[in-house]
Amino acid sequence: MAAPIVRSVRELMRLVDFALVPRRHRHKKKWAATEPKFPATQLALQNFDMTYSVQFEDLWPSIRVSLLSEQKYGALVNNFADWDCVSARLEQLNAKDFVSEAISHWELEAQSGHSAAPSPAYSPNLRCFTFARGDVSRFPPSRLGSLGVMDYYLMDAASLLPVLALGLHPGDTVLDLCAAPGGKTLALLQTLCCGNLAANDLSTSRTGRLQKVLQSYVPQDIREKNQVRVTSWDGRKWGELEGDTYDRVLVDVPCTTDRHSLYEEENNIFQRSRKKERQMLPMLQVQLLAAGLLATRPGGHVVYSTCSLSHLQNEYVVQGTIELLANQYSIRVQVEDLSHFRKLFMDTFCFFQSCQVGELVLPNLMANFGPMYFCKLHRLT
Amino acid sequence: VLNLHRQIPLTWVCLAKLMPHLGEQKRTAVSLFRKLTTTSNGEGLEELPLIGSKKHVQELKCRADLVHCLPEKQRLSVDGGPLTLEKVVCSLLHMGFSDAHINELLSIQPHASPQQLLDVISEFILLGVNPEPVYVALKKSPQLLKMPVGQIKKRSSYLRKLGLGEGKLKRVLHSCPEIFTMRQRDIDDVIQVLKEKCLFTMQQVTEILHRCPNVLQGNPSELEYKFQYAYFRMGIKHVDIVRTEFLKYSLTKIKQRHIYLERLGRYQTPDKKGQTQIANPLLKDILRVPEAEFLAKTACSSAEEFVVFKKLLAREEEEEPESSTSTEEEEEEEGEEEELC
Repeated sequence: MAAPIVRSVRELMRLVDFALVPRRHRHKKKWAATEPKFPATQLALQNFDMTYSVQFEDLWPSIRVSLLSEQKYGALVNNFADWDCVSARLEQLNAKDFVSEAISHWELEAQSGHSAAPSPAYSPNLRCFTFARGDVSRFPPSRLGSLGVMDYYLMDAASLLPVLALGLHPGDTVLDLCAAPGGKTLALLQTLCCGNLAANDLSTSRTGRLQKVLQSYVPQDIREKNQVRVTSWDGRKWGELEGDTYDRVLVDVPCTTDRHSLYEEENNIFQRSRKKERQMLPMLQVQLLAAGLLATRPGGHVVYSTCSLSHLQNEYVVQGTIELLANQYSIRVQVEDLSHFRKLFMDTFCFFQSCQVGELVLPNLMANFGPMYFCKLHRLT
Repeated sequence: VLNLHRQIPLTWVCLAKLMPHLGEQKRTAVSLFRKLTTTSNGEGLEELPLIGSKKHVQELKCRADLVHCLPEKQRLSVDGGPLTLEKVVCSLLHMGFSDAHINELLSIQPHASPQQLLDVISEFILLGVNPEPVYVALKKSPQLLKMPVGQIKKRSSYLRKLGLGEGKLKRVLHSCPEIFTMRQRDIDDVIQVLKEKCLFTMQQVTEILHRCPNVLQGNPSELEYKFQYAYFRMGIKHVDIVRTEFLKYSLTKIKQRHIYLERLGRYQTPDKKGQTQIANPLLKDILRVPEAEFLAKTACSSAEEFVVFKKLLAREEEEEPESSTSTEEEEEEEGEEEELC
């Protein structure tokens, strides 16, 4: 009795299904033979070959092989853990804290009077261990320390540079406009300078990850005392939400994530279906940077950063935004010179020598960090 | 044994003193005889006039017979001792070995009878191999001296059947003396892989054995993988695999250099029509050149970067799941090229 009913229902369903698509639109789907399928990683590589070989000329092959090979990591020591113990353990692995190395090296030179360079403004208290040039050792996964928080955070060491460049002072009010997955936000907290930190990211799933990172690295009382506020708003509207508020703003925008796009198929920005989105990226980046600048108080600083090599997403965005702010809001913004920064960390990273504004870390097999572009902006009015 | 050792230098010094001129003459004669045998398979008849007049040739043939007969005669003499040793040294000199070489040859296997040594060596000389390569091969793999002569004969006739005639055998013996000592089944396995799995023609197989004899030493399944890597991953056709002696290089070296070039963007796997968007470097510039030259001219990269790359690649291979035997074809083809953003 039941069987015929089921069958007739199924029959009906099929009829309905047919009825939904008008006969004139019904067609037999073509098989893959006529429609070549390219993995998005392949498309990304083709795209890079086209644009970057022009942009970087002779440097491109070396960057290419580095992007396609395993990247290096840095271990950001958690200051809320037993940090000197952790540092000692990392030193035993033959890793060195590249920040303190660079600073002490610079101080030595300053004492001997070789360089008359001004004291570089960098965010204090950051300790990040890396292996020497050409050393391909890996860090063991981070462990839960005795104080109930993880002892270090593994991240691309170049990601620390934007935070270092931001030059935090104790008690600063800080905004991280595109915070997830949380490496840079954590680094901002590690400076122990944030009087107030607002961490925002548009996607709630990504802010979820950010929350998790903060929970496992930062004790609860500090999270509350520092008033870490995690939000999921549209960063582009920040200028209207909280204009002229922050001392320091980090704008680490969504980009083509060059290294990531070359090996991760899932959610790849180079998928055909995301072409429009990709083409709109520079526009989005300009809007986010503009919002970041608007949220800064006059006299405050903004660091713009991407992990892309593309000029279109780096220098052009910075220059475009400065122009936009000058024309539409009559706000004067100045690019800060970071060449001393480049000299400071020359031993650890391979910098691109001819950026018009900002600095760009190029991946290199000897020091396979980056790509990382960062540019420091000073809001004058 | 001690006694024997003391005698050797004495004997050859005496011999050398007695007939220095004679010895030299004979050496030249034997070297000419060698040419004769190499050409005697009929392919290189045009080389004959170089040797000299017909009369001279006939004379040489007589001497060749002499060389051939000597061991047989000696085989009849029952006991070893100084007499046989002297005769062995004498006939080795006859074949064109230098005094120093003979001395060394005799000391390779002090326990083996000099008669055995002479038998084995004369077998190789008859195969058309020069004294020098014979010496090198024996020095490299002394176990050859332990082989029964019958087995050497059998193996060499088999190698002839494979197409490794007199001239070609020299190179094979030089780089892979094991071809005489290894098991017949192992040789057959390699040949079967080349013929049936890699689909080389018999002529190509002969050529491969001649040019890259070390394929015999390797594992047949590794050989097959190496072929597949060349054919599918690098897009090299059979003819070129043979011509460029591809199979003689180690898979590690091939992968290191090829993948390095590929990631640098200097090598592309050809598509179905054999086309690439960039001009690939020649195979000889990738594999045959020393590393410094490869880096300077082909890869245009620094040595320190390549060192790091090799470390990274080794780790990648190590950590890769065991699926690498399946071929990874279909690299990039012409796709829609879009401007970035």
